[in-house]
Amino acid sequence: MLLEVSALTKDFGDFRALDAVSFSVGAGEIVGLLGPNGAGKSTTVHALLGFILPTSGTIRLFGMDPLKHREAVFARVNLISPYVGFPPRLTVFENLLVYARLYGLKNGRETIRALLGVLGIEDLRDTPFSQLSSGEATRVGLCKAFLNDPDFLVLDEPLANLDPHAALQVRARLIEMQRQRGTAVLYTSHNMAQVEELCDRVIFLDRGRIIAQGTPIEVTREVLGEDRPAPALREVFLSLGGRRPRESA
Amino acid sequence: MKAHRVGAIVLRQVYEARHNLDRFTDALYWPVIDVLLWGFMSVYLGHRDGAKPGFASFLLGTAILWGVFRNFQRDVAVGFLSEIWARNLIGLFSTPLSVSEYVSGLIIVNLLKAAAGMVVAGLVAWIFYSFDIFPLLPRLLPHLGVLMVFALAVGILVTGLIFRYSTRIQSLSWSITGLLMPFSCVFYPLDALPRSMRPIALALPTTHAFEGMRLVMSGGPIGLPDLVAGYGLDALYLALATVAFTRLFQATRSRGLLVKLE
Repeated sequence: MLLEVSALTKDFGDFRALDAVSFSVGAGEIVGLLGPNGAGKSTTVHALLGFILPTSGTIRLFGMDPLKHREAVFARVNLISPYVGFPPRLTVFENLLVYARLYGLKNGRETIRALLGVLGIEDLRDTPFSQLSSGEATRVGLCKAFLNDPDFLVLDEPLANLDPHAALQVRARLIEMQRQRGTAVLYTSHNMAQVEELCDRVIFLDRGRIIAQGTPIEVTREVLGEDRPAPALREVFLSLGGRRPRESA
Repeated sequence: MKAHRVGAIVLRQVYEARHNLDRFTDALYWPVIDVLLWGFMSVYLGHRDGAKPGFASFLLGTAILWGVFRNFQRDVAVGFLSEIWARNLIGLFSTPLSVSEYVSGLIIVNLLKAAAGMVVAGLVAWIFYSFDIFPLLPRLLPHLGVLMVFALAVGILVTGLIFRYSTRIQSLSWSITGLLMPFSCVFYPLDALPRSMRPIALALPTTHAFEGMRLVMSGGPIGLPDLVAGYGLDALYLALATVAFTRLFQATRSRGLLVKLE
């Protein structure tokens, strides 16, 4: 397995944000990490990347502890997240070139040019980041995410600000990377249609616990308790939201 | 530590300087204003009856060197703050970049900025006040080193505090040297301080640096006892700052505050 999370628990004072979360992601898998706001998705992602120290449990990326083997692990990982910004005065190309150097790319300039082309933003290369629209900024974030040709990608709401055409291009790129390179993706989104289309498996979190995991159709059948012919993750999501008041009562 | 990652941080700061007028202002504008101000003051005081020979040179020289110390400390902390303001920290530290590589990049850039500021301030002092600091530099440099290492220790501590307590306390970045200044004997000798404050002054590397610099500027040799005391205290404060930073950084990650810094 490329990523193995075992009994991951995180307490913030008296509040348990993650409660013995265990899951794995294999090479070439696209796994959706889903759940309502406050379910623990971001805490999980940030723990994987070492931004939050777990209270207990273990994380293994490429068989290594990411906190102890930062260099080896993070050379093969990349991320897009609403928490990631770019220096606003630097141009798109300058921002990406800094990241290319951080990843030690030998052909950084060519790689950036090619990615700007794939994402249709070559004309923005000399534009300061502060002057980009949210959709353009998202595409720059995706360029950064693809820069080091990662083996493991963490995509936190990656398509939220994209128009349908751009979203289609990005999905195509992800699927190409998955098929050609075996890139694994951990994907968080509230857009259930996108998740059904992209993800091989999904993990539903609620209040820090995994409440269901499997293929989209397996989770649909398990949570809704019906023999559905096709995935219906939006219904699953809504049904889980509906349960919360009764569960807490 | 990898040179290409340190170089990436240098590149990021160079790009910032290219686009951001604030960086130019920090590096050159304030050092020049300082020298002009202290130059007029020293001319005025130097012409009063009873002024000691070389009094104006002392004031100008120490104004230049204090500016180097203050700017270097501030720029290390502000360089880090600029990543928070841009929400760039998560992006940077999701790469193989380590904290030590990041800090090394900041140190290199800000040493260059401090050197540029000192050269410009020195030229202004030479042109307007006929005070030439450059021939003194070889003998001043060891004392200047004491200042820079202490500035780095203060910068690291402030950075750790900002990690832990966020930008609420960001003003420490540009104000903490003001707190140190009265006790650092920048413009007056240690004897001028009230006896009760001298232990505080002696505990600061800056005091030993400026005492040594005054000796050099009055034509004396490099003050070895001041250098030993200065670098000894520097080593202590740098070690303490590093330990404090490590603990503050751990506490920040443990509390999940790293992703909330803004």
